[in-house]
Amino acid sequence: MTQIGEPILEVKDLKVHFPTPDGMVKAVDGLTFTVHRGETFGIVGESGSGKSVTCLTALGLIKRESAQISGEVLFEGHDLLKLSNEDLRPIRGKALSMIFQDPFACLHPFYRVGDQIVEAIQCHDSCDKKEARNRTVELLSAVGIPQPDDRFRDYPHQFSGGMRQRAMIAMALAHNPSLLIADEPTTALDVTVQAQILELIDHIKQEFNIGVILITHDLGVVADVAQSVMVMYAGRAVEYGSRDEVFSGPLHPYTWGLLESIPNIDRKGARLVPIEGAPPSLIRVPTGCSFNPRCPHRFDPCDKDRPELLDRGGGHPEACHLRVEDKKRLWNEREAGRVEEVAS
Amino acid sequence: MSRAASTNEPTTDTPPEDIAKSSKAVGEPLVTVENLTKRFPIKKGIIFQREVAAVHAVEDVSFAIYPGETLGLVGESGCGKSTTARVLLKLIEPTSGKITFEGEDITGLNKRQMRPMRRQAQMMFQDPYASLNPRQTIGQIIGAPFRIHKLSGDTKQKVQELMERVGLNPEHYNRYAHEFSGGQRQRIGVARALALRPKLIVCDEPVSALDVSIQAQVLNLFEDLQEEFGLTYLFISHDLGVVRHISDRIAVMYLGHIVEVATADELYNNPKHPYTAALLSAVPKGKVGTQVTTRTVLTGDVPSPVNPPSGCPFHPRCPKARQVAGGDGVPENCRVELPPLGEVVENHHAACWYPLEESEELAKAAHA
Repeated sequence: MTQIGEPILEVKDLKVHFPTPDGMVKAVDGLTFTVHRGETFGIVGESGSGKSVTCLTALGLIKRESAQISGEVLFEGHDLLKLSNEDLRPIRGKALSMIFQDPFACLHPFYRVGDQIVEAIQCHDSCDKKEARNRTVELLSAVGIPQPDDRFRDYPHQFSGGMRQRAMIAMALAHNPSLLIADEPTTALDVTVQAQILELIDHIKQEFNIGVILITHDLGVVADVAQSVMVMYAGRAVEYGSRDEVFSGPLHPYTWGLLESIPNIDRKGARLVPIEGAPPSLIRVPTGCSFNPRCPHRFDPCDKDRPELLDRGGGHPEACHLRVEDKKRLWNEREAGRVEEVAS
Repeated sequence: MSRAASTNEPTTDTPPEDIAKSSKAVGEPLVTVENLTKRFPIKKGIIFQREVAAVHAVEDVSFAIYPGETLGLVGESGCGKSTTARVLLKLIEPTSGKITFEGEDITGLNKRQMRPMRRQAQMMFQDPYASLNPRQTIGQIIGAPFRIHKLSGDTKQKVQELMERVGLNPEHYNRYAHEFSGGQRQRIGVARALALRPKLIVCDEPVSALDVSIQAQVLNLFEDLQEEFGLTYLFISHDLGVVRHISDRIAVMYLGHIVEVATADELYNNPKHPYTAALLSAVPKGKVGTQVTTRTVLTGDVPSPVNPPSGCPFHPRCPKARQVAGGDGVPENCRVELPPLGEVVENHHAACWYPLEESEELAKAAHA
């Protein structure tokens, strides 16, 4: 198994608020987490829960003029939020790199794939073109692109979706990063290709002993490849723990809802149990617990006090007012109910 | 190595209505499709256009859907799922083949003659943002089928009943599509498809664009409506979990061919075609303990449908064929001859020369 090493990225009380004419959009509202070397850190949540904004902020890709950002993002001894654009440049794309969701939009259609990777190499390394080219070919073969010598001269439209994502990974790996952020890297791909790409990311993580942040809305992907999981809802973490803790003993009603609304591939399940309602607008986040209007277990303090992300004795931090014993009982009842329903 | 070939001799020419029947297959099928083929020509030249090649989108596809049944159609992008659906509804003309709806041959009908049939068969689309006209109110969108088919009566009242039925607030009759969320828009699409009380609804990836919690709501709505109105669905999706949940029977497509048909449970518990087995093993299980490394990972990409491989379309990527031949080769018949969709076990059809035995493990394909 993978060894989990020292922390490489520490995010402390990160807040990202965007002022708009309609009010303040609280995209991320107080988020704290740590990513270690050799670890795949999964961030799960529905669209608009603040997953991507968190990572874009860490990379300095959110314009500071248009947002109010506070908190700390510590990476290799620097607070990334305090660095100027010039100081960020030697870090971003080098020690800290990112792959994006849409491999079709990330490569320039007019330039050859190889040249785009060469540019990424020369951007941080003052090596000559020939050396950069050789390294590109090596990278392309490392990410599993057949005949990298010939493929170097191809344009993006000659690559399939999976190969483009591989090329993007090659570009991200160009400078041996210590942290790779993957924002929904497989959402645009078919399942068979998704399996290939996830395997590749896992392989790279082990070979180079780096940290990986995997942002996804697919709980299945996280359960397969991540070591730690953070579940986000409306800009805040609602549950945070190791994969085994979160998947075998989830302690937040939102995580329960997510787990129960996925159709199971192993058995034809009974009726799905959806979460009622829709995610809230980030301008008018409900007071108290932001999940309370959709929560089947809400009680007195839920719409008044906001639950903090704390370990209430269940083994990992979660943000829910219910007592731990009650939550364990409720989850076990829900699971038992589902098994019974399938059996009948 | 002759065991598989001799014990599981595929039978040819099964009539489409007999391919892997489910328990719901009673009476006459609602729709049958026989040897359906669609090729899109690729043309070259500016003035004198000549056909230089063709995209083999759908190749010799046969199936039947019985009333009240849900047939799931799965496959990777570009395998011809959507084209099959569109040809079935005659939104695209087939190159060859025969489509029968309620016993009537509709292959040769023109647009005008298709009108009465269109009331019986409706379609739902994937993208809830692109499939609703932004300049029309919800009332106009859902009322359009009544207008087109010149039905008299109180359209507004009928539309509001429909809105209520699919879980929308009838007071939102005069709102525009942009005022609704993705899940609500998909409900608008459902209401529009339902307006004329059709028998068949073709759903082309209806939940792919939705978040999981909303997806479950829409899937439940589909099930409720099927029960209430006795609907028949052709349900297309690339999400194998969703398809299993909603379908009675599932057809798996690869490069324009149907490679396997069986009831949902049978297909998932006992896949016969190596492609189906690989596809199922590629799905993240969402359970602790399953590791990426235990999967059958297919190497390479889907070949181009312009130049499909000879013989079995799956042979260049097939781990089973390599197992049979031993080493890196592929058996002769896989490479040369297209396997027919034959019955492997009762009510389970697969197009493979060497179908998998029960609980046979596929070797993990070596990396290129």
